[in-house]
Amino acid sequence: MSAYRTGDTLARRRFLTAAALRGATVIGTGALSASALSTGVLGTRVAGATGTTGVIGATALGAVDADAAFAAPIRPLDPAVAESAFAEGRIAAINGDVLEVAGSYGDHSRVRITGATSVWKGRATTAADIETGDGLYARGLPLPDGTLATDAVWVNIVNLHATIRGIERTRLHLAHGQHEIIGNLMAERTSAAYGDASPTADLSRLTIGQSAQVLGAWRPSDGSVDLVRVAVAPGAGRRR
Amino acid sequence: MSALARDLAPLVLAGVLGPAGAGKLFGRGTARQAPRTALARLLRDGGRAALVLRVLGAVELLLAAALLAPPTTPLPGAAAALLGAGFLGYLGYARAAAPGSSCGCTARQEAPLTWRAFARAAAVLAGGAAAALARQPWWTAAARHPAAAACLVLAAAVVLTALSANPERRWRMPLRRLRLRIAGHPLAATATATAVAPATTPATTQVAVPPDAAGAPPPVPLTAAGARTAVPVAATVELLERSRAWQSVSRVVRSALMDHWDDGGWRILQFAGVYGGGTAARPVLVLFAMDAAASLDTVREPAVRVSVIDADSGAPVMATA
Repeated sequence: MSAYRTGDTLARRRFLTAAALRGATVIGTGALSASALSTGVLGTRVAGATGTTGVIGATALGAVDADAAFAAPIRPLDPAVAESAFAEGRIAAINGDVLEVAGSYGDHSRVRITGATSVWKGRATTAADIETGDGLYARGLPLPDGTLATDAVWVNIVNLHATIRGIERTRLHLAHGQHEIIGNLMAERTSAAYGDASPTADLSRLTIGQSAQVLGAWRPSDGSVDLVRVAVAPGAGRRR
Repeated sequence: MSALARDLAPLVLAGVLGPAGAGKLFGRGTARQAPRTALARLLRDGGRAALVLRVLGAVELLLAAALLAPPTTPLPGAAAALLGAGFLGYLGYARAAAPGSSCGCTARQEAPLTWRAFARAAAVLAGGAAAALARQPWWTAAARHPAAAACLVLAAAVVLTALSANPERRWRMPLRRLRLRIAGHPLAATATATAVAPATTPATTQVAVPPDAAGAPPPVPLTAAGARTAVPVAATVELLERSRAWQSVSRVVRSALMDHWDDGGWRILQFAGVYGGGTAARPVLVLFAMDAAASLDTVREPAVRVSVIDADSGAPVMATA
């Protein structure tokens, strides 16, 4: 057990920051040529990386964005890598590290959270934030004991198409079909994407009547959605 | 006042029936929405329902014209009252037979059956009865009491608008738009924060990774974790995922973003992964250090520091530097 694991968050982050800054600098976009990194431990991995699936943000086992929770599973090209499995549903019970998940289609799965599991619940967080009754989407590897050892868990994630019906300082009124949804704006966390531009904290170009693709975390308690990203078409501000 | 209301009823009723009738008769949405109405269920045929809706629209238009034009007879009013009673009966049936369906009342929006539909039908029935009892043409009554007539018509318009099939679109959204226009955009401050942030965090740009800075890390002071910068984490992750650095270690990464924090102009992104295969496989942490102020909008060739450390010991795994 290293120092970074035993310290508090600040100490852990300080340790990891130093480790991160000691790393090699890689410049540019797109696939890496083998010579871009110094020959070393990365060598064989780099060669494999040039033949990745082409899915932005994908790992050998699947994509990693919050959006990826809705993407089709990726079949690993490397035969040495086991095919990942998926689970979804509502958390019926939490037994230590294992979540009992009731699937949407009557199925049941046992999802194991490990120290290497990423947990998303509107933001990158820890397993302590997971509650009974939450919705879940998980990617991982099936273990012999029947549990799914998860690499990534997305809790209460929603990705829906909506129309902006009202804008307030702390929330958006959204319409999704016949349903009205309250979208909570989270300080320093909600971002907007205008057309193809990069996500920005500038929400001032959202207008009433706009169609938006909304990514967020659903709150089971009141049915509202904590907004993570509101993506609207370019030409924001045009009335429909 | 009640006499004035009775005499003005033909005008108000025509204002209700005219647009509704025109919508059904000429609206392009009639054929599309007819199969979803309770009428289609009653007639067991969406096409027939569309035809009936169009005929009904024509009747409503004719009634509106008859209510507005001389000679003044009780007939159009009585016919409208009959129509209102028919609507109520139809709605009662629809409520029982197909509660989730659209009423087809205005043939514009897909409006599920609510109390508003019943209130509108009742208003047509009451308006028709009042119009049938009118003693003088509406234009004569309006000319005698112009101010009271204007107030009455306005009040009726407000009530009828509130009863419209889609109040959200009809008046709540325009009101909200108006409020935004008058009071300003409630989220205008987020634009200001975005614009000034780079100026208030000069360290961000100063320590951005130069191409040849792959050596020893600068002794960066640890600032408050998660310090505010203009670039959301989502934009940093987007930049990372398109970077060559990500491609170099994507085979090692297993988790999604586990943690992130800002530190002296850097943004550190932490992932978990597995390095090596078979029995030599071991859990690792994959760390990326990026310019906290960079995004795809500002940087074409992102410079990213990549580090892979053993998850248990914290020792570097890849000799990447």
